Amino acid sequence: MNVTEQHIAAAMQAAAPAQEHATEELPNFITLLEHFFPKSHFVHFLFSWENLVFSLLILGFIGVCSIRAARKKEFIPRGAQNRWELFMEGLVDFVTGILGPRGIEHAPFLGTMFLYILLQNWLGLLPLMKSPTSAWSTTIALALITTVYVQWVGIKEHGLLNYLKHLAGNPVGIMGLALIPLMIVINLSIEFLAVPLSLSLRLFANISSEDKLLYKFAELNVMYHWLPFFFQLFANILVILFSFIQAFVFLLLSTVYISLIMPHDHEEGPGAAHEKTIRPDHLTTN
Amino acid sequence: MEFFQENIHLAEVVVQLVAFLIVFALLKKFAWQPLLSIIRSRRERFEDEWGEIEKAKQSVAALEKDYRAHLQKIEEEARAKMQEAVQEGRRLARDIQEKARLESQTSFEKAKASLDLEIEKARLTMRREIAELSIRVAEKILKEKMDADSQEKKALEILGELEKKL
Repeated sequence: MNVTEQHIAAAMQAAAPAQEHATEELPNFITLLEHFFPKSHFVHFLFSWENLVFSLLILGFIGVCSIRAARKKEFIPRGAQNRWELFMEGLVDFVTGILGPRGIEHAPFLGTMFLYILLQNWLGLLPLMKSPTSAWSTTIALALITTVYVQWVGIKEHGLLNYLKHLAGNPVGIMGLALIPLMIVINLSIEFLAVPLSLSLRLFANISSEDKLLYKFAELNVMYHWLPFFFQLFANILVILFSFIQAFVFLLLSTVYISLIMPHDHEEGPGAAHEKTIRPDHLTTN
Repeated sequence: MEFFQENIHLAEVVVQLVAFLIVFALLKKFAWQPLLSIIRSRRERFEDEWGEIEKAKQSVAALEKDYRAHLQKIEEEARAKMQEAVQEGRRLARDIQEKARLESQTSFEKAKASLDLEIEKARLTMRREIAELSIRVAEKILKEKMDADSQEKKALEILGELEKKL
Protein backbone atom coordinates (compact mmCIF):
# COMPACT_ATOMS: atom_id res chain seq x y z
CA MET A 1 0.00 0.00 0.00
CA ASN A 2 1.61 3.25 -1.11
CA VAL A 3 1.41 6.61 0.69
CA THR A 4 -1.56 7.93 -1.29
CA GLU A 5 -3.63 4.82 -0.62
CA GLN A 6 -2.79 5.12 3.06
CA HIS A 7 -3.97 8.74 3.00
CA ILE A 8 -7.22 7.80 1.31
CA ALA A 9 -7.83 5.09 3.84
CA ALA A 10 -7.12 7.52 6.66
CA ALA A 11 -9.49 10.02 5.11
CA MET A 12 -12.25 7.43 4.82
CA GLN A 13 -11.71 6.41 8.41
CA ALA A 14 -11.73 10.02 9.58
CA ALA A 15 -14.76 10.91 7.50
CA ALA A 16 -16.86 8.02 8.80
CA PRO A 17 -17.77 9.63 12.16
CA ALA A 18 -18.35 12.92 10.40
CA GLN A 19 -20.84 11.31 8.03
CA GLU A 20 -22.69 9.90 10.97
CA HIS A 21 -22.99 13.42 12.34
CA ALA A 22 -26.04 14.92 10.77
CA THR A 23 -24.95 18.57 10.56
CA GLU A 24 -21.48 18.34 9.04
CA GLU A 25 -20.54 21.84 10.10
CA LEU A 26 -17.42 23.31 11.59
CA PRO A 27 -17.52 23.43 15.38
CA ASN A 28 -18.60 26.70 16.98
CA PHE A 29 -18.06 27.92 20.51
CA ILE A 30 -21.42 26.54 21.66
CA THR A 31 -20.70 23.03 20.37
CA LEU A 32 -17.31 23.24 22.09
CA LEU A 33 -18.95 24.31 25.35
CA GLU A 34 -21.41 21.42 24.94
CA HIS A 35 -18.46 19.12 24.36
CA PHE A 36 -16.57 20.30 27.44
CA PHE A 37 -19.55 20.85 29.75
CA PRO A 38 -22.08 18.24 28.71
CA LYS A 39 -23.88 18.32 32.02
CA SER A 40 -24.41 22.07 32.23
CA HIS A 41 -28.06 23.01 31.77
CA PHE A 42 -27.17 26.49 30.61
CA VAL A 43 -24.80 25.14 27.96
CA HIS A 44 -27.41 22.62 26.90
CA PHE A 45 -29.94 25.43 26.63
CA LEU A 46 -27.51 27.44 24.49
CA PHE A 47 -26.81 24.39 22.37
CA SER A 48 -30.47 23.75 21.70
CA TRP A 49 -30.98 27.41 20.70
CA GLU A 50 -27.60 27.94 18.99
CA ASN A 51 -29.04 29.36 15.76
CA LEU A 52 -31.03 31.88 17.73
CA VAL A 53 -27.96 32.80 19.80
CA PHE A 54 -25.95 33.60 16.66
CA SER A 55 -28.91 35.41 15.12
CA LEU A 56 -29.26 37.53 18.24
CA LEU A 57 -25.53 38.28 18.13
CA ILE A 58 -25.98 39.65 14.62
CA LEU A 59 -29.16 41.51 15.51
CA GLY A 60 -27.41 43.05 18.49
CA PHE A 61 -24.40 44.00 16.38
CA ILE A 62 -26.57 45.64 13.72
CA GLY A 63 -28.66 47.37 16.37
CA VAL A 64 -25.75 48.77 18.35
CA CYS A 65 -23.80 49.89 15.28
CA SER A 66 -26.73 51.51 13.51
CA ILE A 67 -28.14 53.23 16.59
CA ARG A 68 -24.67 54.56 17.47
CA ALA A 69 -24.24 55.79 13.91
CA ALA A 70 -27.69 57.42 13.92
CA ARG A 71 -27.07 59.20 17.23
CA LYS A 72 -24.41 61.49 15.80
CA LYS A 73 -26.64 63.27 13.26
CA GLU A 74 -23.82 65.41 11.91
CA PHE A 75 -24.41 67.38 8.76
CA ILE A 76 -21.04 66.31 7.40
CA PRO A 77 -20.99 62.60 8.27
CA ARG A 78 -17.85 60.90 9.49
CA GLY A 79 -16.85 57.40 10.56
CA ALA A 80 -19.73 55.04 11.32
CA GLN A 81 -22.38 57.58 10.34
CA ASN A 82 -20.69 58.01 6.98
CA ARG A 83 -20.57 54.24 6.36
CA TRP A 84 -24.19 53.76 7.36
CA GLU A 85 -25.35 56.64 5.24
CA LEU A 86 -23.36 55.29 2.31
CA PHE A 87 -25.05 51.92 2.73
CA MET A 88 -28.47 53.52 3.16
CA GLU A 89 -28.15 55.76 0.15
CA GLY A 90 -27.08 52.81 -1.99
CA LEU A 91 -30.00 50.78 -0.69
CA VAL A 92 -32.49 53.63 -1.15
CA ASP A 93 -31.25 54.17 -4.72
CA PHE A 94 -31.64 50.47 -5.44
CA VAL A 95 -35.09 50.20 -3.86
CA THR A 96 -36.45 53.40 -5.38
CA GLY A 97 -35.05 52.28 -8.75
CA ILE A 98 -37.46 49.35 -8.62
CA LEU A 99 -40.35 50.66 -6.54
CA GLY A 100 -40.29 54.33 -7.53
CA PRO A 101 -40.05 57.30 -5.14
CA ARG A 102 -42.47 55.71 -2.65
CA GLY A 103 -40.12 52.77 -2.28
CA ILE A 104 -38.20 54.76 0.34
CA GLU A 105 -40.91 53.72 2.85
CA HIS A 106 -39.78 50.11 2.51
CA ALA A 107 -36.05 50.82 2.72
CA PRO A 108 -35.85 50.24 6.51
CA PHE A 109 -37.43 46.78 6.24
CA LEU A 110 -35.45 45.74 3.19
CA GLY A 111 -32.22 47.23 4.55
CA THR A 112 -32.56 45.46 7.90
CA MET A 113 -33.38 42.19 6.16
CA PHE A 114 -30.45 42.48 3.74
CA LEU A 115 -27.91 43.35 6.43
CA TYR A 116 -29.27 40.68 8.77
CA ILE A 117 -29.03 37.95 6.13
CA LEU A 118 -25.65 39.11 4.83
CA LEU A 119 -24.02 39.20 8.25
CA GLN A 120 -25.60 35.88 9.23
CA ASN A 121 -24.22 34.34 6.04
CA TRP A 122 -20.75 35.72 6.70
CA LEU A 123 -20.76 34.81 10.36
CA GLY A 124 -19.94 31.19 9.50
CA LEU A 125 -16.58 32.30 8.11
CA LEU A 126 -15.38 33.47 11.52
CA PRO A 127 -13.71 30.84 13.66
CA LEU A 128 -15.98 29.34 16.34
CA MET A 129 -19.03 30.98 14.81
CA LYS A 130 -21.90 29.64 12.74
CA SER A 131 -24.18 30.90 9.99
CA PRO A 132 -27.69 30.82 11.44
CA THR A 133 -29.01 30.93 7.88
CA SER A 134 -27.69 27.41 7.38
CA ALA A 135 -30.74 26.34 9.40
CA TRP A 136 -34.10 26.22 7.69
CA SER A 137 -35.86 27.45 10.84
CA THR A 138 -34.04 30.76 10.50
CA THR A 139 -34.61 31.22 6.79
CA ILE A 140 -38.26 30.23 6.93
CA ALA A 141 -38.81 32.78 9.70
CA LEU A 142 -37.27 35.44 7.46
CA ALA A 143 -39.30 34.29 4.46
CA LEU A 144 -42.51 34.32 6.50
CA ILE A 145 -41.76 37.84 7.73
CA THR A 146 -41.19 38.96 4.14
CA THR A 147 -44.40 37.29 2.98
CA VAL A 148 -46.45 38.86 5.75
CA TYR A 149 -44.83 42.26 5.09
CA VAL A 150 -45.61 42.03 1.36
CA GLN A 151 -49.24 41.06 2.02
CA TRP A 152 -49.56 43.82 4.60
CA VAL A 153 -48.29 46.32 2.01
CA GLY A 154 -50.91 44.95 -0.40
CA ILE A 155 -53.73 45.43 2.12
CA LYS A 156 -52.47 48.89 3.08
CA GLU A 157 -52.12 50.06 -0.51
CA HIS A 158 -55.30 48.62 -1.99
CA GLY A 159 -57.68 48.20 0.95
CA LEU A 160 -58.97 44.90 2.31
CA LEU A 161 -61.77 44.52 -0.28
CA ASN A 162 -59.49 44.97 -3.29
CA TYR A 163 -56.93 42.70 -1.69
CA LEU A 164 -59.54 39.96 -1.27
CA LYS A 165 -60.64 40.58 -4.87
CA HIS A 166 -57.04 40.01 -5.90
CA LEU A 167 -56.97 36.73 -3.99
CA ALA A 168 -60.15 35.77 -5.83
CA GLY A 169 -58.42 36.60 -9.14
CA ASN A 170 -60.28 39.91 -9.78
CA PRO A 171 -63.25 38.03 -11.18
CA VAL A 172 -65.13 39.49 -14.16
CA GLY A 173 -68.20 37.80 -15.58
CA ILE A 174 -69.71 34.40 -14.86
CA MET A 175 -66.52 32.58 -15.76
CA GLY A 176 -64.54 34.69 -13.35
CA LEU A 177 -67.05 34.07 -10.57
CA ALA A 178 -67.01 30.36 -11.27
CA LEU A 179 -63.24 30.30 -11.01
CA ILE A 180 -63.12 32.10 -7.66
CA PRO A 181 -62.46 28.98 -5.51
CA LEU A 182 -59.73 27.80 -7.84
CA MET A 183 -58.10 31.24 -8.00
CA ILE A 184 -58.22 31.58 -4.22
CA VAL A 185 -56.47 28.24 -3.83
CA ILE A 186 -53.88 29.10 -6.49
CA ASN A 187 -53.19 32.60 -5.13
CA LEU A 188 -53.04 31.45 -1.51
CA SER A 189 -50.68 28.63 -2.49
CA ILE A 190 -48.41 30.98 -4.38
CA GLU A 191 -48.45 33.90 -1.95
CA PHE A 192 -48.30 31.95 1.30
CA LEU A 193 -46.62 28.70 0.35
CA ALA A 194 -44.55 28.95 -2.83
CA VAL A 195 -43.03 32.36 -2.08
CA PRO A 196 -41.86 31.61 1.48
CA LEU A 197 -40.75 28.14 0.49
CA SER A 198 -38.70 29.34 -2.47
CA LEU A 199 -37.19 32.24 -0.50
CA SER A 200 -36.30 30.14 2.52
CA LEU A 201 -35.16 27.00 0.72
CA ARG A 202 -32.87 28.89 -1.66
CA LEU A 203 -31.10 30.66 1.19
CA PHE A 204 -30.99 27.65 3.49
CA ALA A 205 -29.74 25.29 0.78
CA ASN A 206 -27.03 27.65 -0.41
CA ILE A 207 -25.69 28.61 2.99
CA SER A 208 -25.81 25.10 4.44
CA SER A 209 -24.00 23.86 1.33
CA GLU A 210 -21.36 26.54 1.80
CA ASP A 211 -20.93 25.45 5.42
CA LYS A 212 -20.60 21.84 4.36
CA LEU A 213 -18.05 22.85 1.74
CA LEU A 214 -15.96 24.67 4.33
CA TYR A 215 -16.27 21.73 6.67
CA LYS A 216 -15.12 19.30 3.98
CA PHE A 217 -12.13 21.42 3.06
CA ALA A 218 -11.17 21.73 6.72
CA GLU A 219 -11.47 17.97 7.02
CA LEU A 220 -9.25 17.48 3.98
CA ASN A 221 -6.72 19.92 5.42
CA VAL A 222 -6.50 17.88 8.59
CA MET A 223 -6.21 14.61 6.68
CA TYR A 224 -3.70 15.78 4.07
CA HIS A 225 -1.48 17.94 6.28
CA TRP A 226 -2.59 21.33 4.98
CA LEU A 227 -1.94 20.48 1.36
CA PRO A 228 -5.35 21.69 0.12
CA PHE A 229 -5.04 24.91 2.11
CA PHE A 230 -5.17 27.08 -1.00
CA PHE A 231 -8.31 25.28 -2.12
CA GLN A 232 -9.87 26.20 1.19
CA LEU A 233 -8.77 29.79 0.73
CA PHE A 234 -10.44 29.78 -2.67
CA ALA A 235 -13.56 28.22 -1.10
CA ASN A 236 -13.60 30.98 1.52
CA ILE A 237 -13.51 33.64 -1.16
CA LEU A 238 -16.32 31.86 -2.97
CA VAL A 239 -18.33 31.69 0.25
CA ILE A 240 -17.86 35.43 0.82
CA LEU A 241 -19.07 36.13 -2.71
CA PHE A 242 -21.99 33.69 -2.75
CA SER A 243 -23.14 34.78 0.71
CA PHE A 244 -23.38 38.32 -0.60
CA ILE A 245 -25.17 37.14 -3.73
CA GLN A 246 -27.70 35.15 -1.68
CA ALA A 247 -28.43 38.14 0.56
CA PHE A 248 -28.77 40.32 -2.51
CA VAL A 249 -31.09 37.82 -4.21
CA PHE A 250 -33.28 37.80 -1.10
CA LEU A 251 -33.35 41.60 -1.13
CA LEU A 252 -34.07 41.74 -4.85
CA LEU A 253 -36.89 39.20 -4.68
CA SER A 254 -38.45 40.89 -1.65
CA THR A 255 -38.32 44.23 -3.51
CA VAL A 256 -39.86 42.66 -6.59
CA TYR A 257 -42.68 41.10 -4.54
CA ILE A 258 -43.40 44.50 -2.99
CA SER A 259 -43.23 46.09 -6.43
CA LEU A 260 -45.73 43.56 -7.82
CA ILE A 261 -48.22 44.18 -5.06
CA MET A 262 -47.95 47.98 -5.05
CA PRO A 263 -50.35 50.07 -7.17
CA HIS A 264 -48.89 51.28 -10.44
CA ASP A 265 -49.04 54.67 -12.08
CA HIS A 266 -51.58 53.73 -14.75
CA GLU A 267 -53.99 52.65 -12.02
CA GLU A 268 -53.96 56.04 -10.35
CA GLY A 269 -56.41 58.78 -11.27
CA PRO A 270 -59.98 59.76 -10.49
CA GLY A 271 -61.76 56.87 -8.81
CA ALA A 272 -58.67 54.72 -8.94
CA ALA A 273 -58.94 54.00 -5.22
CA HIS A 274 -62.06 51.93 -5.91
CA GLU A 275 -60.72 50.19 -8.95
CA LYS A 276 -57.20 49.32 -7.88
CA THR A 277 -56.16 45.85 -8.87
CA ILE A 278 -53.12 44.02 -7.64
CA ARG A 279 -50.49 43.48 -10.27
CA PRO A 280 -49.60 39.83 -10.61
CA ASP A 281 -51.73 39.74 -13.75
CA HIS A 282 -50.74 36.21 -14.60
CA LEU A 283 -52.83 35.11 -11.63
CA THR A 284 -55.94 37.11 -12.40
CA THR A 285 -58.90 36.23 -14.58
CA ASN A 286 -60.22 39.01 -16.77
CA MET B 1 -42.37 14.89 6.33
CA GLU B 2 -39.43 13.73 8.41
CA PHE B 3 -37.20 16.16 6.56
CA PHE B 4 -39.49 19.03 7.54
CA GLN B 5 -39.64 17.87 11.16
CA GLU B 6 -35.87 17.55 11.32
CA ASN B 7 -35.14 20.91 9.82
CA ILE B 8 -37.98 23.14 10.94
CA HIS B 9 -38.30 23.75 14.67
CA LEU B 10 -41.49 25.68 15.16
CA ALA B 11 -40.40 27.25 18.44
CA GLU B 12 -37.19 28.46 16.83
CA VAL B 13 -39.11 29.87 13.89
CA VAL B 14 -41.46 31.77 16.19
CA VAL B 15 -38.64 33.11 18.35
CA GLN B 16 -36.60 34.13 15.28
CA LEU B 17 -39.67 35.88 13.92
CA VAL B 18 -40.37 37.75 17.12
CA ALA B 19 -36.71 38.67 17.61
CA PHE B 20 -36.43 40.05 14.12
CA LEU B 21 -39.65 42.03 14.43
CA ILE B 22 -38.54 43.56 17.73
CA VAL B 23 -35.14 44.51 16.37
CA PHE B 24 -36.68 45.81 13.15
CA ALA B 25 -39.12 47.99 15.10
CA LEU B 26 -36.28 49.34 17.27
CA LEU B 27 -34.02 49.96 14.31
CA LYS B 28 -36.79 51.63 12.36
CA LYS B 29 -37.44 54.03 15.21
CA PHE B 30 -33.93 54.69 16.45
CA ALA B 31 -31.71 54.12 13.42
CA TRP B 32 -33.38 54.04 10.02
CA GLN B 33 -35.74 56.96 10.47
CA PRO B 34 -33.12 59.30 12.00
CA LEU B 35 -30.61 58.35 9.31
CA LEU B 36 -33.18 58.72 6.55
CA SER B 37 -34.30 62.06 7.96
CA ILE B 38 -30.67 63.25 8.09
CA ILE B 39 -30.17 62.18 4.49
CA ARG B 40 -33.49 63.77 3.48
CA SER B 41 -32.74 67.04 5.28
CA ARG B 42 -29.26 67.12 3.77
CA ARG B 43 -30.68 66.47 0.33
CA GLU B 44 -33.29 69.21 0.84
CA ARG B 45 -30.60 71.59 2.04
CA PHE B 46 -28.45 70.78 -0.97
CA GLU B 47 -31.43 71.27 -3.25
CA ASP B 48 -32.24 74.61 -1.57
CA GLU B 49 -28.64 75.69 -1.85
CA TRP B 50 -28.54 74.58 -5.47
CA GLY B 51 -31.70 76.62 -5.99
CA GLU B 52 -30.06 79.60 -4.34
CA ILE B 53 -26.95 79.12 -6.46
CA GLU B 54 -29.11 78.92 -9.58
CA LYS B 55 -30.93 82.09 -8.55
CA ALA B 56 -27.62 83.82 -7.80
CA LYS B 57 -26.31 82.66 -11.18
CA GLN B 58 -29.39 84.06 -12.90
CA SER B 59 -29.11 87.38 -11.05
CA VAL B 60 -25.39 87.53 -11.85
CA ALA B 61 -26.19 86.84 -15.48
CA ALA B 62 -28.85 89.58 -15.45
CA LEU B 63 -26.39 91.95 -13.77
CA GLU B 64 -23.73 91.06 -16.30
CA LYS B 65 -26.19 91.74 -19.08
CA ASP B 66 -27.06 95.09 -17.52
CA TYR B 67 -23.42 95.97 -17.07
CA ARG B 68 -22.65 94.98 -20.62
CA ALA B 69 -25.51 97.14 -21.88
CA HIS B 70 -24.30 99.94 -19.64
CA LEU B 71 -20.74 99.52 -20.90
CA GLN B 72 -21.98 99.51 -24.47
CA LYS B 73 -23.89 102.70 -23.79
CA ILE B 74 -20.84 104.29 -22.16
CA GLU B 75 -18.68 103.25 -25.09
CA GLU B 76 -21.17 104.68 -27.54
CA GLU B 77 -21.34 107.92 -25.55
CA ALA B 78 -17.55 108.07 -25.37
CA ARG B 79 -17.32 107.44 -29.09
CA ALA B 80 -19.89 110.19 -29.77
CA LYS B 81 -18.05 112.58 -27.46
CA MET B 82 -14.79 111.78 -29.15
CA GLN B 83 -16.38 112.43 -32.51
CA GLU B 84 -17.71 115.71 -31.16
CA ALA B 85 -14.25 116.60 -29.81
CA VAL B 86 -12.66 115.77 -33.15
CA GLN B 87 -15.24 117.88 -34.94
CA GLU B 88 -14.70 120.69 -32.45
CA GLY B 89 -10.92 120.40 -32.87
CA ARG B 90 -11.25 120.53 -36.62
CA ARG B 91 -13.52 123.55 -36.38
CA LEU B 92 -11.09 125.24 -34.01
CA ALA B 93 -8.20 124.45 -36.35
CA ARG B 94 -10.14 125.89 -39.24
CA ASP B 95 -10.95 129.01 -37.23
CA ILE B 96 -7.34 129.38 -36.16
CA GLN B 97 -6.16 128.91 -39.72
CA GLU B 98 -8.69 131.45 -40.96
CA LYS B 99 -7.72 133.89 -38.25
CA ALA B 100 -4.03 133.38 -38.96
CA ARG B 101 -4.65 133.86 -42.65
CA LEU B 102 -6.57 137.08 -42.00
CA GLU B 103 -3.90 138.32 -39.62
CA SER B 104 -1.14 137.56 -42.11
CA GLN B 105 -3.11 139.31 -44.83
CA THR B 106 -3.58 142.32 -42.60
CA SER B 107 0.06 142.45 -41.58
CA PHE B 108 1.09 141.96 -45.22
CA GLU B 109 -1.10 144.84 -46.28
CA LYS B 110 0.23 146.97 -43.42
CA ALA B 111 3.79 146.11 -44.39
CA LYS B 112 3.04 146.87 -48.01
CA ALA B 113 1.45 150.19 -47.10
CA SER B 114 4.44 151.18 -44.93
CA LEU B 115 6.80 150.09 -47.72
CA ASP B 116 4.87 152.18 -50.22
CA LEU B 117 5.07 155.08 -47.84
CA GLU B 118 8.79 154.57 -47.41
CA ILE B 119 9.27 154.38 -51.20
CA GLU B 120 7.24 157.51 -51.63
CA LYS B 121 9.34 159.22 -48.94
CA ALA B 122 12.54 158.05 -50.57
CA ARG B 123 11.29 159.14 -53.92
CA LEU B 124 10.53 162.61 -52.57
CA THR B 125 13.91 162.83 -50.87
CA MET B 126 15.63 161.71 -54.04
CA ARG B 127 13.75 164.21 -56.11
CA ARG B 128 14.75 166.91 -53.72
CA GLU B 129 18.37 165.82 -53.76
CA ILE B 130 18.39 165.55 -57.57
CA ALA B 131 17.03 169.03 -57.72
CA GLU B 132 19.70 170.25 -55.32
CA LEU B 133 22.41 168.45 -57.24
CA SER B 134 21.18 169.78 -60.50
CA ILE B 135 21.30 173.27 -59.11
CA ARG B 136 24.74 172.61 -57.70
CA VAL B 137 25.95 171.16 -61.01
CA ALA B 138 24.58 174.11 -62.81
CA GLU B 139 26.21 176.47 -60.32
CA LYS B 140 29.57 174.77 -60.80
CA ILE B 141 29.26 174.79 -64.54
CA LEU B 142 28.46 178.42 -64.46
CA LYS B 143 31.27 179.27 -62.02
CA GLU B 144 34.00 177.27 -63.69
CA LYS B 145 34.62 177.53 -67.31
CA MET B 146 35.77 174.24 -68.23
CA ASP B 147 36.78 172.50 -71.41
CA ALA B 148 34.66 169.81 -72.97
CA ASP B 149 36.62 166.93 -71.44
CA SER B 150 36.62 168.29 -67.92
CA GLN B 151 32.92 169.16 -68.29
CA GLU B 152 32.19 165.61 -69.23
CA LYS B 153 34.37 164.35 -66.39
CA LYS B 154 32.62 166.56 -63.91
CA ALA B 155 29.26 165.51 -65.07
CA LEU B 156 30.25 161.85 -64.74
CA GLU B 157 31.46 162.46 -61.17
CA ILE B 158 28.22 164.06 -60.26
CA LEU B 159 26.29 161.21 -61.79
CA GLY B 160 28.50 158.73 -59.89
CA GLU B 161 27.71 160.48 -56.62
CA LEU B 162 24.05 160.38 -57.49
CA GLU B 163 24.12 156.63 -58.16
CA LYS B 164 25.85 156.06 -54.85
CA LYS B 165 23.15 157.96 -53.02
CA LEU B 166 20.41 156.10 -54.77
